[in-house]
Parts: sequence; C-alpha cells; structure tokens
Amino acid sequence: MIAVNQKKSSMWLAQSLRLLHHELRRGELTIIFLAIVLAVATVFSLTGFSGQIKHAIVANSTNTIGADRVLRLSTEVDKSFIDKSQAMSLNHARKIETESMAFAGDNMLLSEIDAVSETYPLRGELRIKTALTQENSVVVNAPKVGTVWVEPSVLSRLDVNIGDIIEIGVAPLTIAGIVTDIPDRSYRAFIAGPTVILNIADMPKTELIQPGSRMTYKYLFAGETDDVEAFEDWVKPQINEAQRWYDAKAAQNRLSRILDTAEKFLSLASMLGIVLAAVAVAVASRRYGQRHQSTVSIFKAMGASISHVRKLYCLHWTLLSCLSIATGLVVGYGLMLLGVNAIASYLSLADAPLTFTPFLTAIFTGLLCAVAFAIHPISVLVNSSPLSVIRGFSQQKVARFGWHQVPPLLALFILLFLFSQDAVMSAALLFGGIVVSFILLLFGRGLMSAGRSVGTKAGKSWHLALANLKRRASENSVQLVSFTIAIKLLLLITVMKSSILSEWEQQFPEDTPNHYLINISEHEIQPLQQFVDENNVANQGFYKVYRGRLAAINGEKTIREEDNSEQEQEQKAESASTEKKSEKSTEEKAEQSAGRRGAGRELGLTWRDELSPGNEVIEGQWWQLDDSKPQVSIESSMAERLEIALGDSLTFTLGSDEFTVPVTSIRKVNWQSRQLNFIMVFNRSVLEQYPTTAISAWSVSDQDRDMVYRFMANYPTVTLMDFAAIMAQLNNIIEQVSVAIQLILILVVLAGSLVLIAQVQASMEERERELAILRTLGARGKLLRNSVLYEFVALGAIAGLMASIGMEIAVYILQSQVFEMAGSFHFQYWLVGIGAGALFVGLIGMLSCWRLLNLSSVTLIRRTM
Amino acid sequence: MHVNSESILSVSSLTKSVQVEDKTLTLLQPLNLTVAAGESIAIVGSSGSGKTTLLSILAGLDLPSSGEVYLKNQPLHQFNEEQRSQVRAQHVGFIFQQFLLINSLTALENVMLPAELANLPDAQARGEALLEQVGLADRLDHYPSQLSGGEQQRVAIARAFISKPDILFADEPTGNLDSKTGQHITDLIFDLNAKEGTTLVLVTHDPKLAARCQRQVEMDSGILNEKASAVVAESVDVESTSANDVTPETSTSQVG
Ligand SMILES: Nc1ncnc2c1ncn2[C@@H]1O[C@H](COP(=O)(O)OP(=O)(O)OP(=O)(O)O)[C@@H](O)[C@H]1O
Ligand SMILES: [Mg+2]
Repeated sequence: MIAVNQKKSSMWLAQSLRLLHHELRRGELTIIFLAIVLAVATVFSLTGFSGQIKHAIVANSTNTIGADRVLRLSTEVDKSFIDKSQAMSLNHARKIETESMAFAGDNMLLSEIDAVSETYPLRGELRIKTALTQENSVVVNAPKVGTVWVEPSVLSRLDVNIGDIIEIGVAPLTIAGIVTDIPDRSYRAFIAGPTVILNIADMPKTELIQPGSRMTYKYLFAGETDDVEAFEDWVKPQINEAQRWYDAKAAQNRLSRILDTAEKFLSLASMLGIVLAAVAVAVASRRYGQRHQSTVSIFKAMGASISHVRKLYCLHWTLLSCLSIATGLVVGYGLMLLGVNAIASYLSLADAPLTFTPFLTAIFTGLLCAVAFAIHPISVLVNSSPLSVIRGFSQQKVARFGWHQVPPLLALFILLFLFSQDAVMSAALLFGGIVVSFILLLFGRGLMSAGRSVGTKAGKSWHLALANLKRRASENSVQLVSFTIAIKLLLLITVMKSSILSEWEQQFPEDTPNHYLINISEHEIQPLQQFVDENNVANQGFYKVYRGRLAAINGEKTIREEDNSEQEQEQKAESASTEKKSEKSTEEKAEQSAGRRGAGRELGLTWRDELSPGNEVIEGQWWQLDDSKPQVSIESSMAERLEIALGDSLTFTLGSDEFTVPVTSIRKVNWQSRQLNFIMVFNRSVLEQYPTTAISAWSVSDQDRDMVYRFMANYPTVTLMDFAAIMAQLNNIIEQVSVAIQLILILVVLAGSLVLIAQVQASMEERERELAILRTLGARGKLLRNSVLYEFVALGAIAGLMASIGMEIAVYILQSQVFEMAGSFHFQYWLVGIGAGALFVGLIGMLSCWRLLNLSSVTLIRRTM
Repeated sequence: MHVNSESILSVSSLTKSVQVEDKTLTLLQPLNLTVAAGESIAIVGSSGSGKTTLLSILAGLDLPSSGEVYLKNQPLHQFNEEQRSQVRAQHVGFIFQQFLLINSLTALENVMLPAELANLPDAQARGEALLEQVGLADRLDHYPSQLSGGEQQRVAIARAFISKPDILFADEPTGNLDSKTGQHITDLIFDLNAKEGTTLVLVTHDPKLAARCQRQVEMDSGILNEKASAVVAESVDVESTSANDVTPETSTSQVG
C-alpha cells in the first residue's frame, strides 16, 4: 500500500518535470524567468548597495562630528560656556569654518577654511600624509602654528607642493601635509572648494574675521557620558534658535535622512522597471496558460483530477520562481559589487556587512511578480474544461475589468508601499500611473489608427505593417507605454545635460553678475568702487550685510519654524530615531500655538537709500531720502509666509542690540535675476551705525577677467566667487542625477524589451498563420520581411513621438517651475526620440521574429494547416 | 431505472439543450440507449445531428440537461467534474478525430499518460509494447510534430488502449486520414478491441466503418434511431421499436 502511494506521489512529479523539461525549450518560461531575475536583481542591488553606503557613512563611522556634542553658532560663544564645561570636567576644542581664497603666486582658489584648536578632534580621527609618496596616513590633531594641511586638489589647482607657502587672507602659511580623513566632514551639495586646515591661533593673522564676516564657530565637547549629559542639561535652555546643539547621532540621522530620500527616490523610479517586468510575467504567463490549455484538457479527459493538474503547474511555478529568484539574487549581488567597486575611491564599503533586508525585499518582490501576475492565467488554465477536447479551444477572452485584476493591482500597491513606506503616496503613484498609462494608451491607439489610414497609401509592406499594428493595438499598447517612458527618460537626460542649463545661462542679459564678492571690509569698499567705476565693470554697488534675527512680530515672540530648523528635527531624532509623522505634526501644531512663526535662521539684513533695480514695491511706499524715521521693507513671499502686513512692527536682534521698526513697504523681488537680493531692507538710519562687511556682484567680461583677478589679489580677505564654478558644481550634480536616471533607463529598456518579446511570442501562432496565408497567395519574402519590420519600426516611432511630446511637457515644467524661464521647443531631439525608438524596437522585434521569418514556406504551411 | 447487469453503459430519457443568447437550443431529444459489455456500436448521422454531443455525455465529459447516464453502474449525471474524471481514468479510453496528442510530450510519454493517471503498473513497458503493436516501435521518442497524421492517430490508439479501458469512445477516428490509412487505423482499432474485449462506441460518417460494428444507431437532428442494418437504413420507422438483427445477442438495447 505504501509502495503504491509513493508511486502515486512520484508520478505527478515525474509528469510535471517531463512537461517542464519540454517547456524549457519554449519561450514563455524564459521570459518569465528573465523578468523575475530582472526585478529581483534590481531590488537586491539597489537596497543592498544603498544599505552598504548608509552603513559605511552612518553606522560604521564611529563619529561624524569629532566630539560627543557640538555647539554651533555664528559668533563666538560666551566664555561662561567654556568655563562651565571645564568645571564639569569636559574636554573641549574649537573650530572656525568659513569660505575664503587661498593664494599661491598668481593663482587663487576658493576654499573651505577650517581653523582648529590644538585639541581638535576630540573623537574620531583626523588623518594626514606628510609626503605624497607616503603609504599610510597618520593620525594628528591641529597643524602647528604657521602651517596648513590641505586636501590633494589644492596642490594641483594652485600648482604648489608640500613645503610651499600659500596665503590664507593675508597670512602666509606653509603646507605641511595632505588631509586624507576629516572626522566632521560636511556632506553638502555645494562645497565652495577643497578644505584647508590651519591652526586657530593663525586665524587673527589672516584678517578674515571682521565685523559682519560670515563665520561658523563650532565648540566641540567630549567627556564621560554623565558629565556630557549634565552639561547638556545646562546648555540646552540657553541656546537660541540661530544656534545648534547636536550629537553624533543627530548628525547621522540628518545624513541618513538624505540617503533615505535618495534611496526612496531611486527605488520608486526603479519601480517603473519592476512594473514592466511584472507585465512581462503577466503577458508570458497568459500565453503559457493558453498554450497549455489543450494539454490540461487532454489530461482531464484521460481522467486527471483538478488537484493533479494543479500540482503539475504549481510545481512548475515553484521551481521557476525559486530558480529565477536565486539567479536574480546572484546577479543582483554581482551588480552590487560592481557598484561598490565603482565608488571605491570615494567610499570604502569593504567591511560593511550585508543585512537581511535586501534579501527579504528582493525575494518578496520576486514572489510577488511570480505569483500575483500569473495567478489568474494559471488558475484559468487549471480550470479548463475537458470538454474542450471535443468543442475546440477557444482563446480565453479576458474581461478588461474584473476581479482578476485585483491581485496585480494589490501587488503593485504592496511593492510601492514597500519602497516608499507611505500608503498615501503609494496610492497616489498607483492611481497616477494608471491615469498616465491610460492617457498614453488612448493617445497611442489614436496614432496607430491614424497610421492605419496613412498606410493605405504607403505601399504594400507599409500597408500590411500598419494594418497589423492597428489590429494588435491593444497588445501593442503595453510596449508602447514602456518604450515611450524609456525614450522620454533618454530625451530628458539629453536635453537636461545639453540644453536646459545653457539656455538658462543664455537668457540672462549681458551685464548679469558672474562674480560675487563677500567679506569686503568697510575700508575696502571705496577702492573697490573706484576700481569698478574706472574699469566699467558692471555692478549694482555694494551692500552692507548685517546678520540679525527676526525676534518678534508686533511684540509676539517668534518661534522656530519646522522646515528651517534642522536642530529641532535632530533633537527629536535623538530621542526617537523612528519617529512617526503623525507625532511630529502634532508637536508642530503645539509649537505653533505657542508663538508666531519666525524666519528661523539668521537673515542677511541691509540698508538702502534707493530701491534696488529688479525690486518693485507692491504695497506701501519706499522711503524718502530725508526720512530718518527707522523703517523696513519686506520681501512679499516672506511677508505672506509669516503673515506680516503693512504697518506691522518687527523686532530684530543684532548682536546684543535689539530694535523694533514698522513695515512701510512690501517688495516683489525677482530671485532668478542673479542680482543681490535681500528679504529685509532697512533705511540707512537703522543699521548704518553698526560695523560690518559688504558684498557685491560684478559682471566681469572675459577680457577683463585677468585684470580683475590681479587687482583682487591685493585684497586677500575678500572672498571672490566665480559663478561659473557654481554652475560647474550644478552640472556635476546633474551629471550624477543623470547617472541614476540612466540606470533606470537601462532597467526600463530591458523590461520593456521583455514585454515586447513576450508579446511577439504571444502573437507568434497568429503571425505564422498570416505569413502562411500570404505565402500561399504568392507574397514575396521581401514583402513579408518588410511588413514585419515596418510594424515594429512604426511602433517604435510612435513611442518616440509620444516620448518627445512628453519630454517637452516635462522640460516646460522644469523650465517654468524650477528655472523660472520661458519655455522653449527642442525639435532636434524629436528626431532623436523617433529615430531611437524606431531603430531599437525595430531591432528587438526583428530579432524576436527571426525564426519566423526564416521558416521556409513549406514548414509554415505544414505547421499551420 | 432498470440496469441490466451485463450493460456497461445505460442511458434513459437523456436530453441536452444549450442556451444561446436568449434562445434554448435543443441538441438531443429524450433518448434511451443501452450498450452491453464487449459490444461495438456505431453512431452515424449527418453533420450537426448531435453525435459528438451525445458521445461527450456518454463519456462523462459533459453533463446531460436531464435524464440518467450510468457507466459501469456509476451515475455520471449525478457526478461532479472530479468524480467523472475518476470514472474516466478507471474505465474510459478515447480516440479523437484531431488525434489530440500533447505536443510537448514524446509518443511514448503520450501513450503512458492514461496508465499513469490510473496508477497502473508497468506504464512504460506496456506503452512500448502497444506502440510496437501499432507499428511505431522505432518512433518512441518522437514528438507529435515529427509524426504524420496516420502515425499520430496510431499513437492515440495505443494511448486509448494502455489503461485497458472497459469502454472506448472514438469520434471520427479516421476523419482526418486518407482511405488507405483510415483502413489501417480501423483494422488496428478492431484488432485491439477484439483482443482486449473492450466495448467500443464509435462515431463515424463512414458506412464501411460503421458496418464493421455489431450494431448501428443513427442520429437525426437530435433524435436517436436504431438502425436495422446498413442495407435497410432508409426504411427504418422512427416510431417502431425493432430488434437489432445484426447483433442479436445484444437485444437488450432500446431506442426511445
Ligand atoms: N455549446 C454549444 N452551443 C451551441 N450550439 C452547440 C453547442 N454544442 C453543439 N452545438 C450544436 O449542436 C449541433 C450538434 O453538434 P455536434 O457536434 O454534436 O454534431 P455532430 O453530429 O458531431 O456533427 P459532425 O458530424 O459535423 O461532427 C450542431 O449544430 C452544433 O452547432
Ligand atoms: Mg462531431
């Protein structure tokens, strides 16, 4: 009895494997396999890679702030803080950060200047090499007085060597080493330039610090945990909203938030490819189901039970899923290693351990693709009636809308949620995706129909091709959508890289500033003004800048504003790094009811006698020259945000002073003009008494450039920023973004091709029959080949056309919303889009039809008759 | 319902109608039929008269709209799909006009299939033996697409006999073949039938093929008539109940 049972159980296994064995030589399982591999590999490499980066930057590095706690402010701290910390037996170090010029001979370079005290860093390691050839870096504290350590690019860009002298401000300092590791390096998008580290004792010699100079003062504290916490309790109540108090975890949280956002964006974008892969699974498994219908019917006619048949196909699917998920993991791991290698020079991920998360996420994605998108066709297959052996096999007509669409939609939602962790966003994306696809479908259908009527007059091959295209319109629409998206991404990258930025730059009038001068001290204003006047350098004069805070509106104290206060977020993150959105928003509300919303950070304040060009008073009146009554003019969008109206009185703090002035005008400012603009502009009487530095913006023509730079070398404490350098950084960022987009593009193209091939396979029998009939009727081989080719070429061209239109819309949105410039057309890229689409889809289509086209007419006819 | 102990298949007041849009189409008028074990019976009739419809109900592939069908004393009309599968696996063999081999399985694998489904031992050995009997000993590993129509039908015949069915249903087994090949296939079916003692229910247009059966019935627009003999087919009175003189030993069969 047992023997019989065993026999019975192994029988279905043998049958299933037998069917699978023969099946492997057919196409559909290969497509399904490849599609799942693609999805799993993508998800695994993406989550794995970003996880490793996060680990390397955030979790693994013991300290990213060089201390246990840091107090950051824009002025020196009261000495009582230091005394108190010493009294509480804490160590402390000081650091001043600013941006300024480094000079060597005729060369100058905008640099990050870090002036550090002898005890810096308190935690983590500052590492240098004292010779370029030195193998290993050594751990150090501050450089000796009179010397600097620089990042490698300083040497090449200033054309100097270790041992040479560079000037920071007016202080000549000797280069004593190259910095390799900075414990509290900042990860900002825009970094002025390479870092130069000097001893804080040399800072006065540089004369960079002047009243009103923009400096960041950091006070680093470290010690026993209890002492640190006790000190923290003492410090926290005393800091104001322009000051920050943070620990390593808060800094890390901020960093990992940035990384999380980037990861989320990438994953959601890659969802596009995963959805297409899932569509390929759906198309291929539907065809698989149809093709196996007769097998199941015969099995059942011979007396096989449903459960027997179910077992056969469940085994197929289980094996297929396991195999493809395993392969996907291997491929994904390989891709991840490639990525790790590619960034090895920036970041070493060698010892970052691989967690379970990427495995689980990838396996889950694979299962979801394999099951949710195949369950309907497979269950239809398993339930096919044995009567079909008598009555013939009708093609299952799948209703457009029905319950069978629930699992795929649910799966998509789960995938979106998995990557975004945000149900509302997932639902919005899902819904938006459906709407966009629907629009593309309608539009694509329209174009295919239009092509059909045009084709009638375009020769026999085209006629046949376009007629076929239209007849298969509903099957073709999926490919159409995917290739449209792929080509649109391609065009967008190209246009963004080559056109938008240059167009944006070109739209500025001739004398738009291209150099910005910062940290001009009072006595330098006059000679600089004289210089620009004599040499006809276009400029808008010099603006004195005062750093102050908006402390109260109509006597009501302002409180911190959420989106501008990093410190607040970090303090929250400290207490619970997995804070919930809902909690946060209730806290926000509680805070808001406790006081007026303020501008948060420090503002650059200035005074003017006359309204600056490009500014326009939209409410109230600009003051008369002789009106010495203190007053302020506020920028309109800020006024709106803080709900400040004409006549409100604003209280500002400036250093230790406090003053209250009425708002007498509201200005509209064109922020895109690249001119110097201020939110708060006062009349002369309010600010003139305070000492400060000034800023200016110049438009330096190419031929004046050398002359200006030579002249500016006489003013080493003035920071000169070249707008071109900022643009170069922007370009660099765009470059990096487009690498990410390219990855998505490749993914979409691969998945789209899978969908296309699956679709071609699904139509193969029909195509064979058509070709056989045409052959029988005497059609020549060339006509048939061309008709197949043109069908795909037309499909690709239509996708290219829709992509071009989509690209123009996206570019227009970018131009009008982000760059605030007039929209423009890019017809030259339409050709690229249409051409690329026609070429690629034509190629893939021909490749997948290759076998069909090379069948002899005899075989064709034999097969189909 | 009386069930003759010798009858393998017994049908009473069977009807079949289908719903087409909002009209009811009657395919089979109430009919009775009894087939004795070991008997061979031909169902003839013009195209569209309902032969295949009847056959699929007799074989348990389809359900009647009303009436009773007993196969090996099992009430097929009360059985669900799964139970009927069970009955087919145990007792029924098929030969179809379109051969209906599974394209992705080899000739031998196709033949073995019913034996495996019925859990019979030695499926492979029996399959090989049967393929040899139908003259395909050297084509065991060929796929259906590599075989001619006649060869495919021979595979189908081997498949039909492998599970030693009590009853074999054949729907136009020679319909897709030329007359010479058809003759050969017919010989094979009748040889194996005689050897295995299988009951045979055969649907055909071919009078010569029908004549080789012990008994013939004729379908006409869903009405079943017993045929006295091939020669006197024209003179059959629809209302009369006549004994079958070709096969006197199976006089239990009735026509309603
Ligand atoms: N499911 C159905 N729906 C509608 N009509 C049906 C259905 N099944 C069968 N018919 C009709 O019933 C009639 C009988 O069909 P059946 O296949 O039994 O004929 P047949 O005698 O086998 O014909 P042939 O000799 O051509 O094979 C035909 O007119 C057919 O169109
Ligand atoms: Mg028929």
